Amino acid sequence: MSNATVVLDAGDGNITARIHNNHVVFPVLSYTYPLKLLSPRIQQDGVAVVYMMTYGGGLVGGDRISLSINVEQDAQLVLLSQGSTKVFKARSGVRAAARSTARPPDSTTMQRLDVSIAAGGALFLLPDPVTCFRNASYRQAQTFRLAHGASAALLDWYTSGRRARGEEWAFARYYSVNEVFVSSVRSARDVVLLEAMGTESASDVCGEFLPRRTLADRMGPYSCYATLLLYGPLVQGVIRELEDRVQKITVFQVREPLDVLWSLSPVSGQTNGRIVRVAGKETEEVKKWLSDALRGGLVSVIGDEVYSKTFI
Amino acid sequence: MQVDKETYLLLLLSDANLPTGSFVASAGLESTAAHALFHVPATPPGSDTLAFLRNSVDTYARSTLPFARDAHRVTTAYASGEMTELDEALQALSRLDALYDASTLNHVARRASCAQGAALLTLYARGFTRPPFLMLKTPTTYLPLLDERENRAGALVAALKLRVRRGDSNAPGHLPICWGVLAGALGLTVDRGAYIHLFLHARGVLSAAIRMNALGPYAAQQLLLHAVKHMVDDALTSTAHVVSGALQDEIDPEHAEDRLPATTWPLGDLLAARHDLLHSRIFNS
Repeated sequence: MSNATVVLDAGDGNITARIHNNHVVFPVLSYTYPLKLLSPRIQQDGVAVVYMMTYGGGLVGGDRISLSINVEQDAQLVLLSQGSTKVFKARSGVRAAARSTARPPDSTTMQRLDVSIAAGGALFLLPDPVTCFRNASYRQAQTFRLAHGASAALLDWYTSGRRARGEEWAFARYYSVNEVFVSSVRSARDVVLLEAMGTESASDVCGEFLPRRTLADRMGPYSCYATLLLYGPLVQGVIRELEDRVQKITVFQVREPLDVLWSLSPVSGQTNGRIVRVAGKETEEVKKWLSDALRGGLVSVIGDEVYSKTFI
Repeated sequence: MQVDKETYLLLLLSDANLPTGSFVASAGLESTAAHALFHVPATPPGSDTLAFLRNSVDTYARSTLPFARDAHRVTTAYASGEMTELDEALQALSRLDALYDASTLNHVARRASCAQGAALLTLYARGFTRPPFLMLKTPTTYLPLLDERENRAGALVAALKLRVRRGDSNAPGHLPICWGVLAGALGLTVDRGAYIHLFLHARGVLSAAIRMNALGPYAAQQLLLHAVKHMVDDALTSTAHVVSGALQDEIDPEHAEDRLPATTWPLGDLLAARHDLLHSRIFNS
């Protein structure tokens, strides 16, 4: 709130993390309703934790969150949430099957994240997953600009919905863009679009001839999907751990789909980044997998106390 | 009977013996089967292949086809002389290639795409250019029919091929970009080029299914005739307005989800990325 010169729109937030006498301080930490940012006190030097929260623990149709983060040289920031981001359905009157062009502009829930990380700095973005409820429409755009020598572990994950109420892939639309630039060169662009098939007029032509396939048919038997992007010197321990694990895998013909599936791919180009994809039948299994896979590599960087706040 | 040039080109391009390297690619089908996610119990034979095909064709059309269309447009513009400079065309193709490379985050798909892209450029250079002896009217005079368009198209493909061959980091030579260049160089329309490309993708998956013994060759023909047509038509129609984003000015983020490429089948991507972990495999992807 110290940055009084910036007028924030609803849902806007700004964070600047800076190293001062071995501690991470926040020259800027501002936010407006419905976004809330909290930074608990941490013993560990050189690291800070910020929780991103929303009032009421969820977002409704039309809510827009836009967070800008600036991680300065040698500062390490861990960004967490408290519980999954729940996205409630679009406002009434919007049919799930309506064509996007006919959708009123205020019905989609939107989250933007713009991050820049200076050399020696690091962002560990390890939130809980996004859960879109029945008929919800959600759009997320995250852009990460890394200087040469910056580090990042960027987790983005989502679940099939409110399974306790029998909702499985019952949202109207989920659209997510993650883009990483290293030294101003685009290194990765990951775009996912999930929507019920057969809702567009053209697909109905197909539907006359072919059996209809739902989003659940396409996503199942898994109900939680995660993507983890890894860049820079401070995640080399995590990368080594994952490389070791993947080398031990040999897939013989399996009889039943595995409970958790994951893959590791190098990102193209000179950046030496990695992308990890995980799918699990249960969210808890994916969470456990992530927590185990990252622990060894990250505890040595951000410390036990901070790591114990992640994946809980 | 006089067959128009485009129809004749379709006959050539849809030849299953065309050396495009597609016979070593299964587009993730082999890995999907190994992970017990292909066969659907208690469904009629062929419906598992059909389900895979729909997911695969849908995500391919939405994520990859826009790059083929844009590369085709660049090639047409250069070949026709509307775009005058060769460097301008090469730079546009290089922007497309770089964006596709950054958007293809699965290393197995990236490898297969580069191998097939390079094969297409070789196919044009060695299989579709006019042999020198067919340019000569008499031993000393050239035929007048060798037109400017063909010259310019040939020059563009040759220059791109050289870059890809050199391992130029600006020219990974991805399949959709090389397909767009080939189809544009041959003078097909953009829509026709996209149509054949998507059809060949679907047929490639069916061929892989036959090699894996998941489907018989007759059943594959039945699917091609009675299901694949609708699937391809549908995917083409619903993605006709999608552009790569590499050549267009910044697209309003409010409309990005309707106008720009996206993956619509994340599970397929994950399974394809696990291909190299299979204990035994017939295909390279």
